[in-house]
Amino acid sequence: MIKKILVGLIGLGVIVLAAFLVIAWKPSIDSVDPPSEGEFSQEQIDRGEIIAGLGNCQTCHTTDQEQPYAGGLAMPTPFGTIYSTNITPDPETGIGQWSEEAFSRAMREGVSRSGAHLFPAFPYTHFTKMTDGDVADLYAYMMTREPIQAEAPENTLEFPFNIRLLQAGWKILFFDEGRYQADSSKSDTWNRGAYIAEGLGHCSACHTPRNQFGAEDESQAWEGTVINNWYAPALNGSNRSPVAWSEDDAYAYLRSGGSPHHGVAVGSMADVVHAGLGLAPDDDIRGLATWLAGLNPSDGADLAAQQAAEAINAASNKRTPSSLMGEGERIFAYACASCHYNDPDSPNALRPDMALNSAVFAPDPVNLIRVTLEGVSLEEGIPGAMMPAFGEALTDREVASLLAFLRSSQTDQPAWSDLEEQVRNQRQQ
Amino acid sequence: MSKFYRYLNRPEGSSQDVSEDTGGLAVSRRGFLIGAAGAGFTLAFFRSGLSFAQPEDVVREGTFEPTIWYHIHPDGRIVVNIAEAEMGQHVGTALARIVADELEANWSKVELHHVDSDPKWGLMVTGGSWSVWQNFTPLSQAGAAGRQALIEEGARLLGVSPDQCQARNSEVIAGNQSISYGEIVQRGDLSRTYTEEELKQMPVKPATQRRLIGRESKALDIPGKTDGASRYGLDAKVEGMVYGRPLIPPTRYGATINSIDDSDAQSVKGYQQTITLDDPTGTVPGWAVVIADSFHAASQAAARIRVDWSAGDTADVSEQDILDHGVELIETPDKGSIMFPDEGVDDAFDGAGDVFQQDYITHTVLHFQMEPVNALAYEKDGTWEIHTGNQWQSLIIPVLAKALGVKEDKVVMRTYMLGGGFGRRLNGDYAVPAALASKQLGKPVKLVFTREDDTRFDSPRSASYQRLRMAFDGEGNPVGMEHHATAGWPTEVMAPFFMPKGANDQPFDPFSIQGAAHWYSVGPHRVRAISNDLANATFRPGWLRSVGSGWVNFALESFMDEAAHHAGKDPIDFRLALLKAEGRNAGEAPNSVGGASRQANVLRRVREISGWGENMPEGTGLGVATTYGQERNMPTWTACVARVHVDRNTGRVKLEKMTLVTDAGTVVHPDGARAQVEGAALWGASMALHEGTRFENGEPVARNLNTYTPMRIGDVPELEIEFVDSTETAVGLGEPATTVTGPAIANAIFAAVGVRLREIPITPEAVLNALKA
Amino acid sequence: MATEFELNGQAVTVDLEGDTPLLWALRDELDLTGTKYGCGIGMCGACTVLINGRATRSCITPVEDIAGATVTTIEGLDPNGQHPLQKAWVETQTPQCGYCQSGQIMQAAAMLKDFPEPTDEQINQAMGGNLCRCMAYVRIRKAIKMAAAEMNGAGDSQAETTGAAANE
Ligand code: FES
Ligand code: FES
Repeated sequence: MIKKILVGLIGLGVIVLAAFLVIAWKPSIDSVDPPSEGEFSQEQIDRGEIIAGLGNCQTCHTTDQEQPYAGGLAMPTPFGTIYSTNITPDPETGIGQWSEEAFSRAMREGVSRSGAHLFPAFPYTHFTKMTDGDVADLYAYMMTREPIQAEAPENTLEFPFNIRLLQAGWKILFFDEGRYQADSSKSDTWNRGAYIAEGLGHCSACHTPRNQFGAEDESQAWEGTVINNWYAPALNGSNRSPVAWSEDDAYAYLRSGGSPHHGVAVGSMADVVHAGLGLAPDDDIRGLATWLAGLNPSDGADLAAQQAAEAINAASNKRTPSSLMGEGERIFAYACASCHYNDPDSPNALRPDMALNSAVFAPDPVNLIRVTLEGVSLEEGIPGAMMPAFGEALTDREVASLLAFLRSSQTDQPAWSDLEEQVRNQRQQ
Repeated sequence: MSKFYRYLNRPEGSSQDVSEDTGGLAVSRRGFLIGAAGAGFTLAFFRSGLSFAQPEDVVREGTFEPTIWYHIHPDGRIVVNIAEAEMGQHVGTALARIVADELEANWSKVELHHVDSDPKWGLMVTGGSWSVWQNFTPLSQAGAAGRQALIEEGARLLGVSPDQCQARNSEVIAGNQSISYGEIVQRGDLSRTYTEEELKQMPVKPATQRRLIGRESKALDIPGKTDGASRYGLDAKVEGMVYGRPLIPPTRYGATINSIDDSDAQSVKGYQQTITLDDPTGTVPGWAVVIADSFHAASQAAARIRVDWSAGDTADVSEQDILDHGVELIETPDKGSIMFPDEGVDDAFDGAGDVFQQDYITHTVLHFQMEPVNALAYEKDGTWEIHTGNQWQSLIIPVLAKALGVKEDKVVMRTYMLGGGFGRRLNGDYAVPAALASKQLGKPVKLVFTREDDTRFDSPRSASYQRLRMAFDGEGNPVGMEHHATAGWPTEVMAPFFMPKGANDQPFDPFSIQGAAHWYSVGPHRVRAISNDLANATFRPGWLRSVGSGWVNFALESFMDEAAHHAGKDPIDFRLALLKAEGRNAGEAPNSVGGASRQANVLRRVREISGWGENMPEGTGLGVATTYGQERNMPTWTACVARVHVDRNTGRVKLEKMTLVTDAGTVVHPDGARAQVEGAALWGASMALHEGTRFENGEPVARNLNTYTPMRIGDVPELEIEFVDSTETAVGLGEPATTVTGPAIANAIFAAVGVRLREIPITPEAVLNALKA
Repeated sequence: MATEFELNGQAVTVDLEGDTPLLWALRDELDLTGTKYGCGIGMCGACTVLINGRATRSCITPVEDIAGATVTTIEGLDPNGQHPLQKAWVETQTPQCGYCQSGQIMQAAAMLKDFPEPTDEQINQAMGGNLCRCMAYVRIRKAIKMAAAEMNGAGDSQAETTGAAANE
């Protein structure tokens, strides 16, 4: 760890110099009066609303549903805590005085109106790919929100990470400015998906591990990582779940919140699917699905169904049809199977099958632990379907035995270690 | 718990018939009366000494025999009153059908009413299939008396003579005229009495003319159990009640509270207070009760309250301690009660060519009835109302009276459906803390036990240790037998006045040895029952479905199997050769007519239909067991063949099939009888393979379904159930099948893989260990 | 804390601590005692109700979590207590003590939506969480199959009406 930090610091030293030499300084952009009502067409605002969803703005910028986009979400990073800002058109505490130019620069260059560099917790590294039209629509939407006066808390970054100027150097190393370039070898649908996934939707911000500078590690792109105490699974072939993402599965998952061959969206992904993608037109979801399927060596829905059936069959053969079972298996039979059991040939998304579920195959058990302890609310997953929390019903050891049983019987993955301790820690979170 | 009361009156091994002394039971000695009451007519047995009273007065004052009576409303509804606890055996239906058959009632007009305990009705008895056995004749006569009265009155109203009339389907019919029972009740005068003598003369239909008994029918209590309408104790409610959740001390006895800290509970919304109970009866020593507006608040508060207890002496006792103590007791020859004279046993063993001996262990079993125990208690107009499901009100009412400091006639128990009895609710101890809390607070308290509270406070089936010995002559024929059994004794702890004395003048708990007095002719036979005082001190041993026969027969029938193999004989041939029906095993009228020959008959029959003797796949085997159910006095002849498959790698036993043949005499309600056999057979299998816990630190280890694991639907084997067609006396069916399935399974495991499991529950580890040994 | 939801077709509001299990809200506040308490840890199934049509253990479901949801209890499965499962339960004389049966029926109702013609294995798995201490299992299985046959055999329109309560 110490070595890592040293390397980081030396690296930073170099960056600092470079930053100063080249592009450190950015001018401030003049303040404007908040745009008046009627400046934007309703159509543009409506398009902007969809963009805001695709960009998932609310996940970070809304902490209180009563105060949308007023910011204040704490984002713990290895360098300290960063708080999301108020992006309502409030002139003092929000972005009311921002011109479209300032807004666009922030979105696509990571520089605030005042000229200060933004931390990459704000995914301008992805938004830079946005089209001018999308930025304009988003601006129209944001500027027509209810202004809310709310000062975001001060970041608590430690020195030297709190020096914004350093970000300029970071950008030299890790930021490529530029709009999305379509891949002409791919379909329009795919390109639409890629544009959303890589740009606006910034999927890799969660699904790609980061390096010691907090930048996405391209060498491990889409390989999955833990973020905000959830495991964002690998989106590519490195995912160990038995069924590779087919376009249909991906579409079902992103549209409804669950797919029979993978599981349901919980935690922040539930927010992405429902609050984020909820308004997006089917074409956008199709695009994302096509793009996601393209990351995976899938041969489509037929193969998916076959893979699923094989996985369920293999797993059910490992179950004991009797109460004479170990603790974990017994708990599964008594408390879980009534909902999680499926016909191998027709797994049901409302009965997430553990032999297919990403959480059970993930290298990190955090999602499975959290869902077991906390349940799935009516809003998460497929809306209207819920799973009760078992946190009060089961002891740490029982949860651990249950999960160990699932891991060993439903997957071909290595056992998770220290499960009981992880369960205990998760309870204290 | 079937046959319980009858049994208490004439315990196995006791020679005297004590029913004369106890009263309230010998129903057949009563007359019958019919009198107006409110709207309609009540038909009832009158108490001894009331035979000259006016029917109307008796009915109005409710001084008739409460256990069996029925009422015909002017609209034709016939309400049969049932004092038996309804806990799944559909006892009310069985009793009502006996009445209705003779009454020639329209079955669709028959309703059940479960009566409350009321002091004016005196002893309230509860029982299961005992009721059918004991009440068959008097209920038939009661129905016949009603029919006769209705025919006479109907004939008068129709203007014909009674002998022109017949009754059918709630109508009196003469030629092409008819009048309904409802109309007779509206217009007629039905008041009359029948003396005991007249009742005896009362013509009862021949079996061939029965229209309800023995025919399929629907139990009347069932519809309400499919739509949420049935009311169980947990559903009881009264204006102004508060909820209580018990804080149970670390030992069953001898614990005292040093201090209670409820400061953390103060923040729980709805929490009121925690009270310490002062129990003059010693039923719940060292208890406190958390009082709150809701059960949830009481539970939340309970989790935040710290009680400092001084535990009683048994705080360290483990299952192993109890079993070790059992061995010690068995090896001390003068301990325990010798059930019946056993002259010649020692000589038989001394002169034997060969002696075979084995020990058997059964572990603690919890009742785990689905509805955790609970009780609502309050005082109303000077009388204490106790609302709870209970099987034996008269056992607990005196305790409640003492706890409350009132006379027994000031305590009334209201009747509810039982969310499972299995013997747990014979012991009404759970009502005591509710009553004490209500008295202390001066308001109604509904005491709700969580499942964990319920299991900690259960009266479990005690762990047992048994030693069996058999002496053989030179040809491998048994010439003498000994059976020593020790366990905690429920009857000693809860109803010692019901313990008969054995041949050595020592009292014994019939419910902790029944089953041992078998019908095999094995020469001189010694049966020694020993109370395990360490068990009795550590917990309150309970009566649990099939009581002693459940665990005694595990040992006996495992042993008979081992003895057969020891003698080189087929286990069924070996047993059949001993079921000779001679001497005391010849049987006597009316209940055990045929004796051991009927047991041999069910055994032969099960051999025929179970595939006995056929080749089995590897790892698969058949095992047999046969018993007389529970009591020598009222035997239900039962035989079972179980088929298991044993996985040699994991030690897991898959119970594939059980074939059961039962001779229970006349079967009143065939489908209900089958249901009882299904449930009882699976109970036995569940105890053998799935259940069982052990004591550690003075308490059962298993507290809930995460650790206590009764059989689930996926574990249920194929069941083939057959009844012997019989017109002999109807006997009980609630539990007999429980007694055979466990040993049949253990014997099947031996047949499958050649290892003996002498301990239940049979765990995969035990099977594996045995296979490795 | 007030929580609103739809119970057996009617809007209800309960004013309870949000963490109160739905089970006790139903039993003690709303006087629907058909839903039973057996274990409190989600392992016996006695407390099973339908939440938005899916079987859920009410003993571990805090009432605050079901705001806005549709809850069906045994009392509301069918307006006349004549759901095909209820009829089959009577026909086969399944209940003994009856205490587990509300939960068994509700679980079975949910199961039949996912497995309209359940095999023994499907029944074993989907009903394995419902303990019947009276061990009425043989009849539970029989009754489920009987009800399934009726529901499948009935015309579409009837299947619609009888299924409606279970679906919603
Ligand atoms: S009480 Fe809810 S599952 Fe047992
Ligand atoms: S009928 Fe009694 S628990 Fe199921």
